[in-house]
Amino acid sequence: MHKALTGFIFGLLSVGIASIGHSADRPLIDAHIHYSHDAWEGLPPAKAVALLRKAGLKKAFVSSSSDKGTQLLYKTAPDLIVPVLRPYRRRGELGSWMHDESVIKLLENRLSTNKYAGIGEFHAYGNDVNTKVLRRVISLAKQYGIFLHSHSDAGVIDGIFKQNPDARVIWAHSGFTDPAEIRTMLKKYKNLWSDLAFRDEHATNGKVDPSWRKLFQDFPDRFMIGTDTFAPERWYYVIEHAT
Amino acid sequence: MHHFVKGMFASLGIIFAAASSLASNQNTFSEDERAAILSHGPWPPKLTPDPSNRVSGNQTAIAFGRELFRSRFLSASRRHSCITCHNPNRAYADGLALSSGVSKVDRNTISLANLRLNRWFGWDGGSDNLWAQSIRPILDPRELNGSATMVAKRLRNDIPFSRGYKAIFNALPTNHTDEDILVNLGKALAAYQETIVTPRTPFDQFREALANNDNQKANLYPLAAQRGLKIFVGKGKCGLCHQGANFTNGEFDDAGVRYFKPSGGIDKGRFGGIQKLEKSPYTLLGRYNDNPSKVPGVATRHVARSHQNWGQFRVPSLRNVSQTGPYMHDGSLTTLRDVVMHYSSLNEERLHLDGRGLLRSLNLSHQEINDLIAFLETL
Repeated sequence: MHKALTGFIFGLLSVGIASIGHSADRPLIDAHIHYSHDAWEGLPPAKAVALLRKAGLKKAFVSSSSDKGTQLLYKTAPDLIVPVLRPYRRRGELGSWMHDESVIKLLENRLSTNKYAGIGEFHAYGNDVNTKVLRRVISLAKQYGIFLHSHSDAGVIDGIFKQNPDARVIWAHSGFTDPAEIRTMLKKYKNLWSDLAFRDEHATNGKVDPSWRKLFQDFPDRFMIGTDTFAPERWYYVIEHAT
Repeated sequence: MHHFVKGMFASLGIIFAAASSLASNQNTFSEDERAAILSHGPWPPKLTPDPSNRVSGNQTAIAFGRELFRSRFLSASRRHSCITCHNPNRAYADGLALSSGVSKVDRNTISLANLRLNRWFGWDGGSDNLWAQSIRPILDPRELNGSATMVAKRLRNDIPFSRGYKAIFNALPTNHTDEDILVNLGKALAAYQETIVTPRTPFDQFREALANNDNQKANLYPLAAQRGLKIFVGKGKCGLCHQGANFTNGEFDDAGVRYFKPSGGIDKGRFGGIQKLEKSPYTLLGRYNDNPSKVPGVATRHVARSHQNWGQFRVPSLRNVSQTGPYMHDGSLTTLRDVVMHYSSLNEERLHLDGRGLLRSLNLSHQEINDLIAFLETL
């Protein structure tokens, strides 16, 4: 089931950059949605799903702190929600989770119980990739045949592929790095996709920056768009972003 | 200069007298700290007329604008005026969490002072000039609930106001269109509001003493305020946003305050402000800008919506800040202590610190919080 879900998603991704510039005949996927406790308190699942549908989304990759939010949404709209397992139980763990070995058991339990297309979005930098927790995350993704959604520098991406050359990785925010480094990484790893959430440099007032344009043209099926609802109020930005 | 804080100088005297008996030492400031402190002055600044407003600085327009500001002439119901929210006895604010005109507004009233220094106006920067910002509440159904037709008709039928208008704009309102009248009234209101400037403060005197290496005068500045100033320019990095003599960079940021509207829905903040600019006929790019070269409109021409703008609000000036609470765009923080505590224990995950954002949780001690407040109270 995990593999089927992931396969479907990456099949959709083959439409690639064509998704940008939403129109009725092009499926629009938002690859970066969070539905954490403060979001579901003010925006119950039915309302949240209605909002995603109003935005015209074909699929929404959702993760949450805790995972309860993701499960609530997935149960409400399994056709729309792509569940991604976040290794955080609550807000405030993004800088410490990789040093907390209890996270391993948590992930193992969730993965054996629920369906997920990926693990993430997690935050990791530098040598974090060699911690026991992150090594296990990488092996669990391999075991279940699911992707990793990594908010990290290029070094962590290198580390992930070093541990599993067949890993499939979505690079959150394209690493907040420049087109040159993104190009290097996309060339180096055929299973790396780059999400553009919370990035503006590539296009201003509808005009695409030339260096980014060249990158999109050279890797047309390797970019994903996302809103990143890191605060509950940003859920209302999903529609504005999609249009 | 319009000194709206009655007795301010008397208060300064008291503070300085008290300080001189208490403060026997001065904090030591590094060269970097000293440079940062000096960047917050001098005060008052030298102000020039607004080139987009041909009656800016015109004394007749200022007097006329002052009358308009205080009268209920611009309110559809004749029950409200500008001072309903911008009360001169409350630092040109209202002391309420949320503004209230005809009905409740979802934002806190911004104190009107030092407006000539602004690039953007309103919490969302939905106006790029003061005359447009002065038109906005006239037309807002929650505030004065008026219209161009209403104010024009009223002006044409009011002999004293009509004469006042002619004295400034060289024509009776019967010879102008409704919209031209609305814009001209906005410009007269702006001419008046530009004159509202906060007075010199204990901080300004300390800064000047520091610039002149006058230790005796500098020692009069309370030690707690000096310690707070050290945090402000150092550990707190507050000056990154609260820059310059007016203690603001005039731009926008997400301060980690929720932006659900009290009445429901979302306050888009700067994102919505840019959308307003894009639609407004009253920006510096439009035909009502009196500067033929339209030069002041450069920023408006280049402004672009970004993902970050969602939920950003204008960085307010800290001048006179002890008198302008409640604070933040929604008035959700009642006191200066609440504000300092907010920045001391920010929820950093709300801010998406990676990829943007200057803010970090300051994790201040009790003493540091008190010192920072002591400093802010001297602005």
